[in-house]
Amino acid sequence: MVPEPEGSLLLKGYGALPGAYDELVDETGAPRPHARVAADMLNGLSPEGFQRCQSLAELSLVQQGVTFSVYSDQRGTEKVMPVCLVPRVMGAAEWARVERGLVQRLTALDLFLDDVYGDQRTLREGVVPGEMVEKSKSFVPRLRGIKPAGGVRIHIAGVDLIRDPAGTLRVLEDNLRTPSGVSYVLENRQVTKRVFQHAMESGSVRRVDDYPSQLAEALRSVSPVDPDESTVVVLTPGPFNSAYFEHSFLARSMGLELVEASDLVVDGDDVFVRTTMGPRRVHVIYRRTDDAYIDPEFFRPDSLLGVPGLMRAWAKGRVALANAPGNGVADDKAIYPFVPDLIRFFLSEEPIIEQVPTFVCARRDDRQYVVEHLDQLVVKAVDEAGGYGMLMGPQASVAEREKFRELVLAEPRKYIAQHRVELSTCPTWVPERRRLEPRRVDLRPFVLASRSSAGPPTRWVLPGGLTRVALREGSYVVNSSQGGGSKDTWVQMSSSS
Amino acid sequence: MISRVADHCFWVGRYLDRAESTARLLQVTRSLAFDAEMPTTAVWRPVVTVSGQYEDFAERFGDRAAGMGDVVQRYMTWAPENAVSIRNSIWGARESARSVREVLSLDIWQATNELYLWFVSEEAQKQFQVDRDDVYRQIRRQTQLSLGLVRSTMLHDTPMDILWLGVLLERIGQTARILDMHHYLLDADVDKNVGADAGKHQIVQTSLWLSLLRTCSGFEAFMRVHKGRVTGHDAVEFLLFEERFPRSLRYCVRSAVALVRRIWPEQLASIGGAPLARLAALDDWLGERKRDLLPSSIHDLLTHVVDEVAATCSETRQAISGATLLPEIETAEPEVAREGQSQSQGAAEAPKAAPPSTPQ
Repeated sequence: MVPEPEGSLLLKGYGALPGAYDELVDETGAPRPHARVAADMLNGLSPEGFQRCQSLAELSLVQQGVTFSVYSDQRGTEKVMPVCLVPRVMGAAEWARVERGLVQRLTALDLFLDDVYGDQRTLREGVVPGEMVEKSKSFVPRLRGIKPAGGVRIHIAGVDLIRDPAGTLRVLEDNLRTPSGVSYVLENRQVTKRVFQHAMESGSVRRVDDYPSQLAEALRSVSPVDPDESTVVVLTPGPFNSAYFEHSFLARSMGLELVEASDLVVDGDDVFVRTTMGPRRVHVIYRRTDDAYIDPEFFRPDSLLGVPGLMRAWAKGRVALANAPGNGVADDKAIYPFVPDLIRFFLSEEPIIEQVPTFVCARRDDRQYVVEHLDQLVVKAVDEAGGYGMLMGPQASVAEREKFRELVLAEPRKYIAQHRVELSTCPTWVPERRRLEPRRVDLRPFVLASRSSAGPPTRWVLPGGLTRVALREGSYVVNSSQGGGSKDTWVQMSSSS
Repeated sequence: MISRVADHCFWVGRYLDRAESTARLLQVTRSLAFDAEMPTTAVWRPVVTVSGQYEDFAERFGDRAAGMGDVVQRYMTWAPENAVSIRNSIWGARESARSVREVLSLDIWQATNELYLWFVSEEAQKQFQVDRDDVYRQIRRQTQLSLGLVRSTMLHDTPMDILWLGVLLERIGQTARILDMHHYLLDADVDKNVGADAGKHQIVQTSLWLSLLRTCSGFEAFMRVHKGRVTGHDAVEFLLFEERFPRSLRYCVRSAVALVRRIWPEQLASIGGAPLARLAALDDWLGERKRDLLPSSIHDLLTHVVDEVAATCSETRQAISGATLLPEIETAEPEVAREGQSQSQGAAEAPKAAPPSTPQ
């Protein structure tokens, strides 16, 4: 522990990590131009002062019950996702490009889903190899031919972005099913506003608090009837779900009812919610349940979970589901390498945001390279998530690499490989050393889509998004279940806005 | 209001009031066991009987155990296998409250959660050995706190009305059962037919009436109305009919009628009509009984009340579910608890775990 002199400037002595891009300071240690406000704010604080702010913020989150449940705990204890008050700042110009890039990417992915569940031109013309789609666990062939009410499939997307050492932002992953985390964005901002009143008052940061009303509008827009006459509900798996807080938070802030599957019934081809005043027709369902638990009649005849008949109502266009069932095929790791080509195919544009160069083991040359460079690559099985079926080449033993060599050669379609990206860092408060140290971050912006009267859906990007930070020194893992925390993300206001 | 949410509210009310009533019953019976010169079986066995659990109890511990105060108290307080034990009531209240946290106020949730956490703590277990009366008192105080917070912090709207309807219906059933516990003595006293052991009976019964009044928190109120004179007839009449006393059957039934009318106003009679009609009929019926209460009919009266309340509860839940308007669709399994029949309370089963989910 290095004792610091009273009243020292927080950013002074902060050392960025060699070989990684730092979000707040440049190579010389000077604040990046767009991060001025944040840097000034930090430099105006002593470690004691910052620690006070940090404690205040944590207390306020506990008091408001911004928590996720911990499954294993019988007493139903709830944990707060750690928050670090040092913000991550995005410059106005860069953000404008990110917005355009996200809209472009999601427009293409929405068209791809229409195509996969439609006439499959992309497969016939070889933009995506047919087997990549057909063998995907998330592809539901029975959905072919169904056009969702409102014409939108990806109503809410969370796209994970990372920044490489050269400063280039890259898409790591698309989440097109039930992306979560937006409640932390809103709560973190509330806390920042309270604690750093002054910096926020200077009017240099774009607001995020209209997300719930934007979401409510987006949901209403896809209703099969007049949006103003529509009943929209949020469907949750229930209080035992780890993201229940977010479900109830969103329902509350949109003024919508939070329902469970047993609250809904399908009569004929219409969906109703049971209320004390009798059944009421439902037009739009923002569902936070997985495909497998939507409708036992359709997905899992052996299951009692879900709403029997819901898929029938959806197929008939009597109810809109956000997001549409079957979206998982488009955020499958096996499809990811082909997204740039999909953008070119559908939009005749070059992708605005890069992604991580990926080797597709199904391709002969790629496969050859992968098996020869297993000690340098991260190999991922396409159907697995959450770190399962993964080889971290540089750290793996010879035996593990040999095992993966055999796996890749036996079933090449199942594997992709990437070089590990040195994630960018952001100054992060380390309470036990009472100072700022670099920790690795990613960014999950959220993108909403609404029906537009003509042409493709209109998309809106929440300025900023969820910055997740690996709080442990040297760690790359930003997940909240594994020692990750979050930060407020400030998008600098452009001079014109 | 979503039916499931309403159903949980209804059960929050019922469980909280049930936990309180059971704690009261045990607390007062303990004091009765000290004061009244009655065989211990006559003191403790009715506690198990009116809770509808006698069969289960006898099977586990044997008939003779019904006279052992400690066995009965442990069974009624802690036993997980006893559907109406305080433990299960507190747990049920807390689980229901947890499912509808948005609808309750934070204060209610916290008070209920704290009660639960304290009750399952070692501290409470130890206290039960050392100072049992204190454990009962704490349970009563905490449930009363939660119920008080319902009225003082919740929006006075359908969710609160439904929660409070649960409280009232539970209270009616509990009061009727408690009165019924010693009905044979009531009949005897109201008849003035005390027989040879008149003196002894007098002592037994006076302490019995006092304990009944205390069980229903009606001691002071009764004394004020009756200027300190205690007879069985007056005590029973007070607990049955006194319209100014908030725990009397009549008061609770009337309040329940008003609540049902507010939840389902006239234009929604197709939904709330059944429980309303039944409660209104029960109210009228009680009014008639008041005029010509025959001592021998007290047990019948109480049985009728318990049956009607059980029927009202199931009709209320039917109405809450909205199922009356979708006859072709089966009502979903209730989440937390079920109705019992006459003289046996609803068995409190564990809420089912939520469907598994794998969010991205």
